[in-house]
Amino acid sequence: MSEGLAVLLVSFAVLLLLEVPVAFVIGIATLLGALALGREGSFVTVASDLANGLNSFPLLAIPFFILAGELMATGGLARRLIDFASSIVGRKKGGLSVVNTLTCMLFGAVSGSATAAISSVGGAMIPEMERKGYPRDFSVALTATAATTGLLIPPSNVMIIYALAATNVSVGALFLAGLLPGVVTGLAIMVVAVLVSRRFHPAGSADPSAMLVQEVPLFWRSLWRALPSLFMLFLVVGVIILGWMTPTESSAIAVLWSLLLVCVFYGDVKWGQLPAILINAARTTGIVLLLIGTSAAMSRLLTFEQVPQAAAAALLAVSENPLIILLLINVALLCVGVFMDMTPAVLVFTPIFLPVAIGIDLHPVHFGIIMIANLCIGLCTPPVGSCLFLGCGVGKTKIAGVSRAMIPFYIAMFGALIAITYFEDLSLWLPRMFGELD
Amino acid sequence: MKVFGKIQKFLLQGLGVICALVFAVLVIDVLFAVVMRHFFEQPAWTEELARLLLVWLAILGGVLAYAADRHLGVDVLVARFDTSTRRWAQVVGHVMVLGFAVSVLLMGGWQLFSERLDSGQMMPGLGVPRAWFYFVLPVGGFLIMCLAIEKILIGLDVVKEGSEEKGVVS
Repeated sequence: MSEGLAVLLVSFAVLLLLEVPVAFVIGIATLLGALALGREGSFVTVASDLANGLNSFPLLAIPFFILAGELMATGGLARRLIDFASSIVGRKKGGLSVVNTLTCMLFGAVSGSATAAISSVGGAMIPEMERKGYPRDFSVALTATAATTGLLIPPSNVMIIYALAATNVSVGALFLAGLLPGVVTGLAIMVVAVLVSRRFHPAGSADPSAMLVQEVPLFWRSLWRALPSLFMLFLVVGVIILGWMTPTESSAIAVLWSLLLVCVFYGDVKWGQLPAILINAARTTGIVLLLIGTSAAMSRLLTFEQVPQAAAAALLAVSENPLIILLLINVALLCVGVFMDMTPAVLVFTPIFLPVAIGIDLHPVHFGIIMIANLCIGLCTPPVGSCLFLGCGVGKTKIAGVSRAMIPFYIAMFGALIAITYFEDLSLWLPRMFGELD
Repeated sequence: MKVFGKIQKFLLQGLGVICALVFAVLVIDVLFAVVMRHFFEQPAWTEELARLLLVWLAILGGVLAYAADRHLGVDVLVARFDTSTRRWAQVVGHVMVLGFAVSVLLMGGWQLFSERLDSGQMMPGLGVPRAWFYFVLPVGGFLIMCLAIEKILIGLDVVKEGSEEKGVVS
């Protein structure tokens, strides 16, 4: 390992621990690494790598999905999706936890954002679940894990980021590939939720039926009310698969549709609220894109230093068995996910692990789904789990308690990850059916 | 220092308005491009404008997020420190951000901007020098520099907190 790399790694670790914002950590570590390598004009190089990393038309889909998510979170979409989910599964035992999971999956899918799902759905469901006798820690853990499935179910921002990092991977294929793995993970979470919630009893009453949803909404009526929101899925994913639009174009349509939805159809958002929504979305965009810019600069430096090749050689030296290499990559990604948020992890580690994955005949689309499913677990673990933190914030609980309630859900997510990793068809069958893969 | 706080609040609100405008124009531009591409012919300037606005939105949004302390950070270690040690750690962190903002964004970005301006490279569709694409780097660097200095001063107790740097525009 060269000195430059050592400087990069050490400064990265130290700055991260000092609570410097991750976007800047990556930028500063890259700069120090480049300086230690004695590269000419490092300041200008990092600056131009940062700006050029953002100079991409596909990247536009990210702010647009953020804005659409912000619009949907402000409007009353969550309530309608909750009613819709209740009308399907509300009558079953442990129903409310299943309703919560299903709503998180739907909301995460239409808004393309796990955090929007936690604040909108969790904000409504966690208090309701508490009234019906579910412990708050359990509800928060459930909401946080269920919301991450929205990152696998299309449309999904992180898939666009993966496609960007992997180059030559079609976003349409990724979107289709994520659907079944997302549903499988959601089902695993539901099963665990129902099993765990058998132990709970509603406060002051031994009658378990008190935990059910009362007044289940009528199916057709709630479907009708939720239909415009669900139409978003077709609008965004459908037009890409049909080849009518690029992901960027469809994301702009998603903004238009969510605007119509919350301002005109549902009328939950006043036009006067739009500037505030735009500013909020701009701030979130800044958080994500600054990370993408500095990660692009770091990726360039790592590639220049041939780190991906070295990592591939090291991994392949351990074993030639694809199953074991897959396991090693998964373990490595789990460790990465515990300490890093999803976006920078995808940007920095895709160029490192993807060549190895291709080397053992893994399809880049399949690998992308594995990587995202894996990093979803990291979103729910301390110390760096944005979903866990947000869930605790929304549910007003402590991380320690929620982490304990998380354990059964970790098992569910891990089980789903194993299935996604070793059953290629789970990811690749759907895109193959639609002819999105060669 | 009250005047300082007021100026800052005003500037941040202005920045928020600019970001909202940039975002709105970006959406309209891409929607316009979609319509043009499907029914007529897509003018070349729409994509150039979209890329230009995207990089501006990214950096200026990043400044907004830094002003509101909303960038993702890791508090595993510092959460275990006592209040005063933690404060020192934060000051060190802001100093590092300051260093990055000045060296890479402000100076590196300015050099990039002036080099590109001299090269005379144009964005053919928009008819504007390509240098303006990079101009947001020094602008963002300057703004983050000012914010970082304020945060450092607050951390060192030179300036009292409560000059409302948090959530002004939210």
